[in-house]
Amino acid sequence: MLWVDKYRPKTLDHVMVHTDIAHNLKKLVTEQDCPHLLFYGPSGSGKKTLIMAVLRQMFGPGAEKVKVENRTWKVDAGSRSLDIELTTLSSANHIEISPSDAGFQDRYVVQEVIKEMAKNRPIDTKGKKGFKVLVLNDVDKLSREAQHSLRRTMEKYSVYCRLILCCNSSSRVTEAIRSRCLNVRINAPSEEKILEVLELIGKKEELQLPPGFAARIAEKSNRNLRRAILAFETCRVQQYPFTNKQAIPPMDWEEHISEIASDIMKEQSPKRLFQVRGKLYDLLINCIPPEIILKRLLHELLRKLDAELKHEVCHWAAYYEHRMRLGQKAIFHIEAFVAKFMSIYKSFLIATFG
Amino acid sequence: MAKRNCVVILSSEDEDAASNVPSLSSSRSYTKTNSKSKSRSTSTSSRGRKKARASHSRSHLSKLHEIDLFGDDFNEVFTGSKVSAGTQRSFAEELWVDKYKPNSLEELAVHKKKVEDVKTWFEERLKPLKGVYNNNVLLISGQAGVGKSASIHVIASHLGAIVYGWNTPTPVIWQEHLYNSGTGTQYTSKLDEFESFVERVRKYGLLLTSCTGESKPPIILLIDDLPMTNGKSAFGRLKNCLQFLVKSTQIPTAILLTDYGNADSVDYNARCLEELKLSLESSGACKVAFNPITANSMKKILFRICQVEQCDVTAEYVDLIAKTSGGDIRHAITSLQFFCLKPNLVNSLASSTCSHGSLNEESNKPVRSDYGYSLHFGRDEALSLFHALGKFLHNKRETGVGTEYVLDFLDDEAIDDAWTLSSYLGDADILLAKLRGSYNEAEGVLQSAAASIAVRGVLFGNSNPLSSRWHAVRRPKLWQVEKASLYKNEVDRLRIPACKRFSSYHMSIMATEYMPMLKLLGNRACGGYDGPSQKSSRNLEMEDFDFDKMDLDEQSRGISDDDIEDW
Repeated sequence: MLWVDKYRPKTLDHVMVHTDIAHNLKKLVTEQDCPHLLFYGPSGSGKKTLIMAVLRQMFGPGAEKVKVENRTWKVDAGSRSLDIELTTLSSANHIEISPSDAGFQDRYVVQEVIKEMAKNRPIDTKGKKGFKVLVLNDVDKLSREAQHSLRRTMEKYSVYCRLILCCNSSSRVTEAIRSRCLNVRINAPSEEKILEVLELIGKKEELQLPPGFAARIAEKSNRNLRRAILAFETCRVQQYPFTNKQAIPPMDWEEHISEIASDIMKEQSPKRLFQVRGKLYDLLINCIPPEIILKRLLHELLRKLDAELKHEVCHWAAYYEHRMRLGQKAIFHIEAFVAKFMSIYKSFLIATFG
Repeated sequence: MAKRNCVVILSSEDEDAASNVPSLSSSRSYTKTNSKSKSRSTSTSSRGRKKARASHSRSHLSKLHEIDLFGDDFNEVFTGSKVSAGTQRSFAEELWVDKYKPNSLEELAVHKKKVEDVKTWFEERLKPLKGVYNNNVLLISGQAGVGKSASIHVIASHLGAIVYGWNTPTPVIWQEHLYNSGTGTQYTSKLDEFESFVERVRKYGLLLTSCTGESKPPIILLIDDLPMTNGKSAFGRLKNCLQFLVKSTQIPTAILLTDYGNADSVDYNARCLEELKLSLESSGACKVAFNPITANSMKKILFRICQVEQCDVTAEYVDLIAKTSGGDIRHAITSLQFFCLKPNLVNSLASSTCSHGSLNEESNKPVRSDYGYSLHFGRDEALSLFHALGKFLHNKRETGVGTEYVLDFLDDEAIDDAWTLSSYLGDADILLAKLRGSYNEAEGVLQSAAASIAVRGVLFGNSNPLSSRWHAVRRPKLWQVEKASLYKNEVDRLRIPACKRFSSYHMSIMATEYMPMLKLLGNRACGGYDGPSQKSSRNLEMEDFDFDKMDLDEQSRGISDDDIEDW
């Protein structure tokens, strides 16, 4: 088992990073009536961990006995019936799905799952009808229609089930849903917190940590705890005992992007643009999300850029990121950004160096 | 010249009655088929007129009226000629295509070398003491109206040979079939008839020659119109039967195949034709391809006709006709005749001078306009996919979406243009993003709007286009990439136990955080570091088989694998 999973806190009491939030959540859950919850925050900050812990708090250890299923829902969509296949994780008391995996049929999924849950409610020990919890991942990736239908089903079936929503950015969740949930923002953990966690893991694994080594990992992780732990484990596998100068393995895709960035800085021509496209394709094939590519690329470019240009380049990056979300084929927009950057940079070079 | 033609036509009309029976018919049948196609071409030109009429509808009413008059008279002339065809034909009413049919090798508009090739081929085979040739079949391919059959006829008469031809039986319509079956006549498919015809030629071809001519002029067999085949088995039969013919015929035979211009079309028939061509060639037929007639030789012929007819058509107009005909001389001549018809009619209608003025104005218009194709008689030409691509990639602004290789066509310095282009392509993408599977009318509009934006954007953005040179045209990689990433996602999901046991991570987290680390962890040694570029390229190759099954646009699939020379 990976350390990330091994050292994941199981209960709200064991949570190390967001202790105050965990404390509040515990109070909330023990008071029986729990509202819908919306967890949002950057990746690697502990949303999932908190959700799992909340579920355990609600239903006891039974919540951890999950089974993975590939389920097919038959959905009657007006004129035709659809078969939608989704992976679900479920225990007796909760179901977890990522409806955005269903593409543009996501709205049917949400409705259908909630309806079905409402149909067979569990009866708790006191003979009272209890409720089930539906965990929805990546709510921000849901289409607008799906979010609307989610809102309606939320209202209609709120007696029978509680929703726990999880997403990276609450800005892409409609106002209507946000106002119906208790919003819980999960910050990216500070470097000190990450350091703390790493040291704890080091202690439990009985490792010798040279001073400053864990700090370096924490710094490199970009305040992403999952990444820090993964990197930590990788270092352990690559070389132990640790030395102070040991290289922390970089992410290959990030390397690739910085390569692209230096390509762009070196030459600005359609030919180079074409080569860059090939490299972008490589990234896309490896399932790196285009938004992350664009973000990282901007990051790399900004590092090498003259301060004068930074504002304009950021503006265009934002512009094309927006258009990328509106559009379907991300490559067009990333490429347009690269072309725009080349054009800006080239005229800058000509203006300064003649 | 005209007299001779008159006679021919009369006799062809006589034959019309008997043409239901498949037979070896004399050279006159040629004119018959010709007149058929003529009526076809006139109908297209009148369609063209309609279009022109629509486009001119904004101009004032009197002109419109006048054009309508033309239309009526035009029809009258042609229908009139049809009625009187069997009886008598006045000089003016005759179709110029027949009237100015080439009579000598010099008059042919076909390229001299091609004619020479064909002629020597026939000469060799018609020599009295000829050697035994394995291949007695000549395959002539080319667009409609490039003078394939005309060349054969002219060459035959030059060599003093008689042309025998397969005379396509008229199709049996359903009512007729019902009637026939009542009388006990069996229905035989056209393909059957053709097969039996070929069989006869193979077996008794020589015998037949001996009974027809006493002086034994040499014989050329002409197969002009292959029977229509529908479906694989029928096509296979046709192929086999033609292959037999190629292998065993003793008479020099010319098979004419009409290309429909676009080899990349998905049209089943066009592809069949291509296959047929290949199979015939492989079984030993000699192949000659006729190119579309060049504008220059077309002009020469049109001027000659103008001289003979004594109609004063401006050089510009002849130019225009020659250009718009797309290398189809039959069409060009018909257009010319139609065009020359007008002034006569105007005069005979004794219309006022103002109509003359408006006529002039109108006739100037098409020349002045940016689109050189607004003539009433422009051949309705569909651009082949590659032609269209070339038109806009090379930024020929006088005048359809392959977005991937636009960059090749940009100047090396023109990074600004590249940005404009990719922005427009992005716009098109955003428009298309609204499409959700099911098709309705609004989405059709959206689609064409997106296509239009992409094309126009590319045309507009490419402000200093490169001169034409050789470019490789590749298929878009986008589909492959999408497919590969989906596939990889699936595989990864299965591979990673964490994903199964705990919560279902989104694929982005998998890809960006788990995978790179797992690669390192899984190897246990830092040696085998596998960069994404190598991996992906290998991935692509591995998956290549699968990609072909996806619903890539069929056209682009068909052509994509080869690099295609610039056009």
